[in-house]
Amino acid sequence: MSGSLSFDEFLLILRIAMIVILYLFILQVVLVARRDLRVSAALPAVNAKPVIGHLIVIDSGPTALIPGSRLDLLTSMTIGRSPTNTIVLDSTYVSGEHARIFFRDRSLWVEDMGSRNGTFLNDQRIQGAVAVKPNDILRIGEARFRFAADSREPARA
Amino acid sequence: MREVLDNMVNLRRYRWSELFLLIMPALFIIVGMLQLTLISAHNSGASVNQITTQNLPTLDTLGPNLLLIVALLATHIALSWLIPDADQTLLPIVGMLSALGVLMATRLGPDLPTPDKNLGFRQLTWVILALGFCIGTVWATRSIRWLRLYKYSWAVAGIVLVAITLIHARSVNFDSPTHDQLNLGPSGIAFQPSELLKICLVIFYAAYLAENREMLSQGGKRFGPFSMPPLKHMMPLVALLLLSLVMFVGLRELGLALLIFGVFVSMIYLASGKLIYVFYSLGGFAVGALIAYKLFSYVRDRVLIVSDAFAPAIASNKGFQIVQGLIALGNGGILGQGFGLGHPTFVPAVQTDYVAAAVGEELGLVGLFAVIALFMLLIYRAFRIAIRSRDTFEQLLAGGIGSIFAIQTLVILAGNLKIIPLTGIPLPFITYGGSSVIANYIMVGLLLRLSSPESVD
Repeated sequence: MSGSLSFDEFLLILRIAMIVILYLFILQVVLVARRDLRVSAALPAVNAKPVIGHLIVIDSGPTALIPGSRLDLLTSMTIGRSPTNTIVLDSTYVSGEHARIFFRDRSLWVEDMGSRNGTFLNDQRIQGAVAVKPNDILRIGEARFRFAADSREPARA
Repeated sequence: MREVLDNMVNLRRYRWSELFLLIMPALFIIVGMLQLTLISAHNSGASVNQITTQNLPTLDTLGPNLLLIVALLATHIALSWLIPDADQTLLPIVGMLSALGVLMATRLGPDLPTPDKNLGFRQLTWVILALGFCIGTVWATRSIRWLRLYKYSWAVAGIVLVAITLIHARSVNFDSPTHDQLNLGPSGIAFQPSELLKICLVIFYAAYLAENREMLSQGGKRFGPFSMPPLKHMMPLVALLLLSLVMFVGLRELGLALLIFGVFVSMIYLASGKLIYVFYSLGGFAVGALIAYKLFSYVRDRVLIVSDAFAPAIASNKGFQIVQGLIALGNGGILGQGFGLGHPTFVPAVQTDYVAAAVGEELGLVGLFAVIALFMLLIYRAFRIAIRSRDTFEQLLAGGIGSIFAIQTLVILAGNLKIIPLTGIPLPFITYGGSSVIANYIMVGLLLRLSSPESVD
């Protein structure tokens, strides 16, 4: 063999090249897959319900809620003692179907569902549906919540 | 037609990642070819004092391998036409695996005990044909609904395919490794229907489970903490499973029986999310395995080989293949002997059952790890497609296909490494064999379609 590179050395380079190509390829696929993951993380999940804000628990009373926790505000939800409600408040002062919260005409509303002990917004008992502003305090039984608006508006259907 | 043209013109939606990822498989083919050519030129001439025992392919049999690069690029362009939004990593991953498979077949062919110069070219032809099938599948499933509407037809078609083989197999010698093939015509083109049965069964399971998912996840009658599975709704599933298991055990295809069973368990768990079904199935498996062990001598043989392969009486006889396979792997070590520099053909049936040993001997542990990593990426993409798809049927179909690839790889690799009894099922995409390659590419086609968010229903 003439030249500065012997046959065996060249073969060794080729052998290493084959392995390196395999691993480079794996690296490339992983990078593409990771970029994919980022893109799909930025998109909202397909089946997720739109969250339009949060209810922050101030005072949970006897219920199992943790003060300071944030509950997702959906475009339509119910509060009460029976387990079918979106937010269940297990307290004797809360009626089975106590109140509901819904989104209409670009605003959030709270409506009392004919509860025995009443639904209070900023310590005033509400009659029918009342529009809610951010930072309003909602009291049902002993439990108190604060409305926190998210910066972005919900997507219009 | 206009839509197709728009896809072509719209460069932003062009599948750039896929094109970019195809560079490495192309390079791999070229480097592998170069290495084989050099070694065979070196062996045939120049050095006199070097003893060589390999018979390596000559340049004229290597040249066609470049066609694989062309075929992969053509598939890439076809996919850019048909489904520009589909997953872009699938084709490069299976392309790389196929490149390794074709190179291996090319390299092993002339070196086999009965030399076969055209082994590589035949494998290449199968892969190119299979890429055609893949595009065909993508095209045919523009609306995926018909797959699910004809679910019982799929089940019947699968069973009929295997039943034909079963009847055919009565007249052949069970000890021949190809007894489960159908010979079509005098040209010796063998066709293995059981590969297509996999696809039929996974479509049927996905469609059936999607319809009865609620029933399964609710469970049936309760006895204390245990709930019986809703037997009425599971009958078609279990009946089909038992039928195919009996046929495969009758055909002495333990690997396929294990694969079908594993897919059944995975899919029922994916559909119901209840571990209790897995426990029931494993219990059933234990009973079935025990019965098979008592009834069939070849099952006992397989277990004996695994438990005591190196006993002299076994190692030179029934366990010869497995022992040679392990020696080949050991010979490869960490970095391998180098492609074309080992002696993998000492292992009987290395091009089919033991291709993993050939990879391990020539590319070493690092090469085998790379292959396993490629399979893991493929399976990861399949399950990711499953997570992202919109309805239950598509989810289960993608998950089922991912399970097939996973179980098949595990069963054959574990068999090669003497962890479980060896069963002759192919290592997807790498093993030599036409039906297997075509079936795998049809499944890749289905995955591509399922990954496209635009598929209309």
